[in-house]
Amino acid sequence: MNTLRIRRFVVMGLLPSLLIYALFVFVPVVWSAYYGFFDWKGIGEAKFIGLGNYAEILRDPVFWRALKNNVIFVLASVFGQVPIALVLAIMLNKSNMLQRFLRSAIFMPMVLSAVVIGMIWQYIYHPQIGILNFLLDALGLESWKLQWLSDPNIAIFSLTPPLIWSFVGLYLIIFMSALQNIPGDIHDAAQIDGATGARKLFSVTLPMIWGTIQVALILCISGSLKSFDLVYIMTKGGPAHATELLATYMYNSTFSSYRYGFGSAISTSIVLISLLFIGTSQWLTSRRKNG
Amino acid sequence: MKNIYKIGMTMALSASVLAGCGGSSGTQGADGGSAEKVQLTVWHNWTGQDAKAIAMRQILDDFQASHPNIELEVEGLPTDGLKTRLRTVAAADEMPDLFVMWPDAMTKEFVNGGLLQPIDEFLDSKPEWKNNFIPNALDGYTVDGKIYSVPMNLAPSSFIYYNQAIFDQYGVKVPETWDELKAAIDTFNKNNVIPIALGNKANWVVQSTIFSTIADRVTGTDWLLKAVNQDGAKFTDPQFIEALKVLQDLGNAKAFQDGFNSIDENQMIQLYNQGKAAMFIDGGWALANLVKTAPQEVLDKTHITILPPIEGGKGDPQSTSGVVGTGMGVSKKLEGARKDAAMELLYALSGPEGQKATLDSSTLVSYNIELDEAKAHPLFVELNNLMKETKISPVYDSKLSSAAVEVVNNGLQELLMGGNPETIAQKIQDAQAGAIGK
Repeated sequence: MNTLRIRRFVVMGLLPSLLIYALFVFVPVVWSAYYGFFDWKGIGEAKFIGLGNYAEILRDPVFWRALKNNVIFVLASVFGQVPIALVLAIMLNKSNMLQRFLRSAIFMPMVLSAVVIGMIWQYIYHPQIGILNFLLDALGLESWKLQWLSDPNIAIFSLTPPLIWSFVGLYLIIFMSALQNIPGDIHDAAQIDGATGARKLFSVTLPMIWGTIQVALILCISGSLKSFDLVYIMTKGGPAHATELLATYMYNSTFSSYRYGFGSAISTSIVLISLLFIGTSQWLTSRRKNG
Repeated sequence: MKNIYKIGMTMALSASVLAGCGGSSGTQGADGGSAEKVQLTVWHNWTGQDAKAIAMRQILDDFQASHPNIELEVEGLPTDGLKTRLRTVAAADEMPDLFVMWPDAMTKEFVNGGLLQPIDEFLDSKPEWKNNFIPNALDGYTVDGKIYSVPMNLAPSSFIYYNQAIFDQYGVKVPETWDELKAAIDTFNKNNVIPIALGNKANWVVQSTIFSTIADRVTGTDWLLKAVNQDGAKFTDPQFIEALKVLQDLGNAKAFQDGFNSIDENQMIQLYNQGKAAMFIDGGWALANLVKTAPQEVLDKTHITILPPIEGGKGDPQSTSGVVGTGMGVSKKLEGARKDAAMELLYALSGPEGQKATLDSSTLVSYNIELDEAKAHPLFVELNNLMKETKISPVYDSKLSSAAVEVVNNGLQELLMGGNPETIAQKIQDAQAGAIGK
């Protein structure tokens, strides 16, 4: 009787958030998958074209370029944000003045809006008055000066430092709280067994927070697959699609070209690709833990 | 007992959250009674602090004050936001009652979607108003012989703003032929002055302010209109490729500063204001920005001209690309008292008095009235006089389908980075043909 009441209460408690989730996340995803089968300008009649939009996506060089750029973003995040945040978390785990200052400094970009970050970095990279080219000049490295955001070959890579910089703080906080959750007696036990330094790090500390690292990786992958704002502010996906991401391409197709059906098909592809990436990373990390 | 209380609270909270969500989308449902107050939703893009925006907001306020029986629900959005928002509500068939919209492509799409109602009847009841617009001013708002709005301003999209002091300093003549333009570019480059500042991050800038005029000079207007309808002309025709090459040639001559695809329109005007650039090319709308932001010594030396003629071109050299400006669209759903109120407001905004207020706020109009030269800024007087002897030719983004416009915009970025004109022309052709179903 009592368990039934508790269970009923749990269901009642979850229901509102579940409803909201279904209404604002699940239903739109299904709807947009449905719109993906139509040739629709947003106004007037929608024409059913079956898999036409998806076939066009497969043949569309811009889509593949956007996917490649997204993969670059995912890799930069996974191999940039997570390891840097982990190293910083281990180094800044104590609490003296300097470490407290560094922690706030690293976390600061997290509280800035993407628009501000985009504007700051846009001026850092500015071709005429940018501080980066100015610094290179001052250091006598004129030959290293580049058109950071307008050279199509390097623009996407120029976008990765702001991306990493702006999110390291988030993972730093996550890792630090995980580190602080390791019970003190485990450290004591390790010390008694004579594990110190690197040995303790790899045999005790990292395995203890492995679950958190896994979560961080998933956050990181899904976050960078749907990244949009930074690129939209800094380059709008240009020049000539050079920095197009799946999300900016979806936005541009829907709201600049007014091809709602095609845009919906792209967003459905994003969902599928995200599931694929996250599934793979889950499988990889859990396999490593078991093996 | 305690549990039941908790459950009750949860339910009440979730109910209020859901109710809150429902409420925000319900603004369209308001139906004014016939005798009592009439409600109108109005969307506009006069959000800035420039003279035009202030003047238009003033008209709205005055209208509200003198019509106590009409309740205006006014919402201002920045231009890009308004365009996107209109398309979004159009998809849901929830247009506001009266809204700022653009001529040609947008008007046509809304009419075809059955979202607008014509204003012919009202327009014909005031012939002295209707007949006072400049020639062809109503064309962009006419679909199948019916008129859906009137322009509230005139938006030529391509002028060369130049700094006479820099031209004098290096002994350069203000270009009157294409060769003189190229010579000027060479001289400025040799002296480390940016010949033409350009900010093409929002990729419509080159298309709207430079290429539309170049293309019209080379191909002539008739060719474009045929190519748009895919009726006897294609974007792969040699004359269009020639136009692309003229633009690419400018880029190769280093007419624009490095990295122009990564800075925006404001940063472009910044370069000019700092005296680093001798010219920039922008629409008539840049004048207000320039007057507000340029230092006095630059502003005093600034003059305005149009792109020089291109030899062998088929277009009228005394023309520049542009569109008649925005007009107020009237939702098809309006009837009776609400329709009358909407027409009255439309007349207040775009009738003779609205046009005069617009002109007085240093914005060109498509309506025949005299400018009070004593009151206006000298640069605006210059612009107004220049427009009296200059014809308007079509801007690409007002004529092509939205999908093709995106392809043109991206294609021009690619072109200026060394892309192949033939390949780009082919992409534009495919997009336009695909969009109109040919």
